[in-house]
Amino acid sequence: MTAISNLSRSGALPGRSTRAVIARVTTEKSVRAGAVWGIVFGLYIATQSLTYATSYKTVASRRLLVQQFGHNAGISALVGPANQIGTVPGFTAWKCLTVLAIIGAVWAILTGTKLTRGEEDAGRWELLLVGQVTRTSAARQALLGLAVGATSLFVVTSIITVAVGSSPKVAISAGAAVFFALAVVSSALMFLAVGAFCGQLSTSRRQAASLGSVILGASYALRMVADSSAGLAWLRWATPLGWVEELQPLTRPRPFALVPIVAFVIVFALGTLYLAGRRDLGAGTLSDRSNVLTIRRLPTTPLGLAAYLSRPVLLAWAASVFAYGLLLGGIAKSGGKIITSSPSLRLAFARLGVSGADAYLSVALLIMAVVLSFVALGQVSAARKEESSGQLENLLVRPFSRAAWLVERIVLAVTALVLGGLLAGVATWVGAISDHASVRFSSLLSAGLNVTFPALLLFGVGVLVLGVAPRMVSVITYSLFVWFFLIEILGSVANMNHWILDLSAFHQMAASPATPIAWTANAVMVAVALVSASFGVELFRHRDLLGE
Amino acid sequence: MTMPAIETFGLAKNYGTTRALVGLDLQVNEGEIVGCLGPNGAGKTTLIRLLLGLLIPSHGRAEIFGMDSQRDTVAAHRRLAYVPGEANLWPTLSVAETLRLLGRVYGKVDLTYQAELIDRFSLDVTKRVRALSKGNRQKLILVAALMTRADVLILDEPTSGLDPLMEQAFRLCVHEAKDRGQSVLLSSHILSEVEALCDRIAILRAGVLVEMGTMVEMRHLSALTVEVTFSGDVPDVTNVAGVSSVIVQGSTLRCQVRGPVEPLLNSLANSGVRELLSREPSLEELFLSHYGAPADDVANDSNK
Repeated sequence: MTAISNLSRSGALPGRSTRAVIARVTTEKSVRAGAVWGIVFGLYIATQSLTYATSYKTVASRRLLVQQFGHNAGISALVGPANQIGTVPGFTAWKCLTVLAIIGAVWAILTGTKLTRGEEDAGRWELLLVGQVTRTSAARQALLGLAVGATSLFVVTSIITVAVGSSPKVAISAGAAVFFALAVVSSALMFLAVGAFCGQLSTSRRQAASLGSVILGASYALRMVADSSAGLAWLRWATPLGWVEELQPLTRPRPFALVPIVAFVIVFALGTLYLAGRRDLGAGTLSDRSNVLTIRRLPTTPLGLAAYLSRPVLLAWAASVFAYGLLLGGIAKSGGKIITSSPSLRLAFARLGVSGADAYLSVALLIMAVVLSFVALGQVSAARKEESSGQLENLLVRPFSRAAWLVERIVLAVTALVLGGLLAGVATWVGAISDHASVRFSSLLSAGLNVTFPALLLFGVGVLVLGVAPRMVSVITYSLFVWFFLIEILGSVANMNHWILDLSAFHQMAASPATPIAWTANAVMVAVALVSASFGVELFRHRDLLGE
Repeated sequence: MTMPAIETFGLAKNYGTTRALVGLDLQVNEGEIVGCLGPNGAGKTTLIRLLLGLLIPSHGRAEIFGMDSQRDTVAAHRRLAYVPGEANLWPTLSVAETLRLLGRVYGKVDLTYQAELIDRFSLDVTKRVRALSKGNRQKLILVAALMTRADVLILDEPTSGLDPLMEQAFRLCVHEAKDRGQSVLLSSHILSEVEALCDRIAILRAGVLVEMGTMVEMRHLSALTVEVTFSGDVPDVTNVAGVSSVIVQGSTLRCQVRGPVEPLLNSLANSGVRELLSREPSLEELFLSHYGAPADDVANDSNK
């Protein structure tokens, strides 16, 4: 009975068309992911707008904010120009649009390549392509599925934005809220098309994701240049992230900026379909220059292999952490003023005996904690993937124990996380002194180390899940991360019970350098991580090795 | 008395309510090649993964040269090499890098033999794994296992994807391994390969070892095919002891005889036999004879 219902669900029963299997599968997966991220987007928008409405109640405080940020080139380059930030809609657009556009683009590249090239690499398309489905048709179906996924992201984001806009404190009309949600999601839509297109160009999903990231990076860099000076504003029309900004939702809506966005999506979608019919299955349009090797440094140990395989990803993260640290640090003085300009924030930090740049940097470094958490989650997923792909067996059928493999993986991840934290501290310090902010190197270095603890906790729990329920690793660890994150951002708006707040690792982490590092809380996080990881290793030693 | 290379004691594996392997007792002696046959889902790969310690047994245990495959995994692995039916390697590494890495993890490699194997299997060591065909990946994983000169070779459908020339090269390697005193457990669907290489054959069915022995022993236990041509009428032999599957076509009778052939000969003594041919069953016939009966019979037998 179960077997029959499973067959029925996958559409393999006679009588149900198998021609649209790829569209169905892609739709199912992308809609699910789109809805989850729609909730995160919506909650982020709600938090930012409600925080502003609560923190900047008076006209005077809002005017001060406008004075400090209305024409700040550094901040404008980082998150876009601060238009009408003396109003709730203007501030919400400024705080959310660029941030969510970038997050949406990253999600879109990962999803767009995973559900096209990733499925092909896994060999799941091959069975269908020898039947009634052509390669072009497969690509068309996948694009359709991705479009439905983007729609679900838009719908969920819209619903939450309209709901929060109806609050008298926020007062954003339904039409404006929907247009804002459209602007936020338009970046994801464009980069879903980029992901699908790169999947046709590249020889593997990994290469496709890297190529998509390069396009996103270039787009962001160009937008930064465009936003750094009024004279360069025209450059916004040369980059997808610039078009998103030119929509100017919630301030001066300009729907005609949707034209290049729609054209971009159409061009990349048509390009995807064009290339799909003109390449071999499993191959890329770009020639694979690196199939034949000359001489290079070879990994000769499992740890060396893990480091070698993780190197591109870890280096990319390190570069991001360093660049972001420089940017965040580079506006430390201005950031300090934003704290000062908000009476409620000023009061909150004054109670802790800090103010200015230190207070701002402690908030900014929270972003680094989130970034490092992603590194931790990526390392757990990489370990699981090595097992599920069958590659790990090549090591474990030789005189190399399971425990040694997992412990080496742990050593690699912990080293990467600690170095990442220290790098974040150093980069932020370099940025801060270039902005002539008075911050001590030692305090930022320890603040950088401080942000690694939630990531270490997440990694430790991830190892435990790897030991006990390997097929649930991604679901459980990412859910835990979302839980930590949501509690942290919602806790700043709603008066949450401290028992709930204490359940977030981000909340446990002290706001360093503004406040002294909470070594006890950090020690507890390390202890939980250690115990979890130890149980994880032990359970991993005594279970079956499992595929996908 | 020498220690068996591989020995299992009541080895069993359940996946939920599915019994993948049921109380298996198997022995592979030093210098012996044992073939493992069975249809898909018979439990061959489960057996091999239990021997390698990749799966945890539900009951029983397995030993490699007396070392428990679960408790002394690393020590046991120092004496074995494994070839899976499907090579899941690291696509970004080259063939040379893969061989070097796997050799380093194993701890020892016969470099002269490695060079010979690379030549014998026509392996291009400069290529990345992702650029290799399925057959070439299989050759790579074969070389990686054989180059260690491990005391036991555990081979799970090792020639899958290989062309006939490479299959010949593989057979030569296995014969050489045996000559050097290495033991081999070979799981394969290619019956001619098993028949040509193996000293003994184990036949698995629904997780149960239903037959184990040399080809001679197995033929002895199995039916003989007899074909008789008569000058006159064909006699009725359906009630003769040991005779089954009787087919009459004109003046020719074809039947299977299990056990002594004497009762059949006695019954034919006065029937005008013009020609009598008998033939021992091939491995294919032996194999098929074990899978002709409904699967439930064996499963029920094994449960008793």
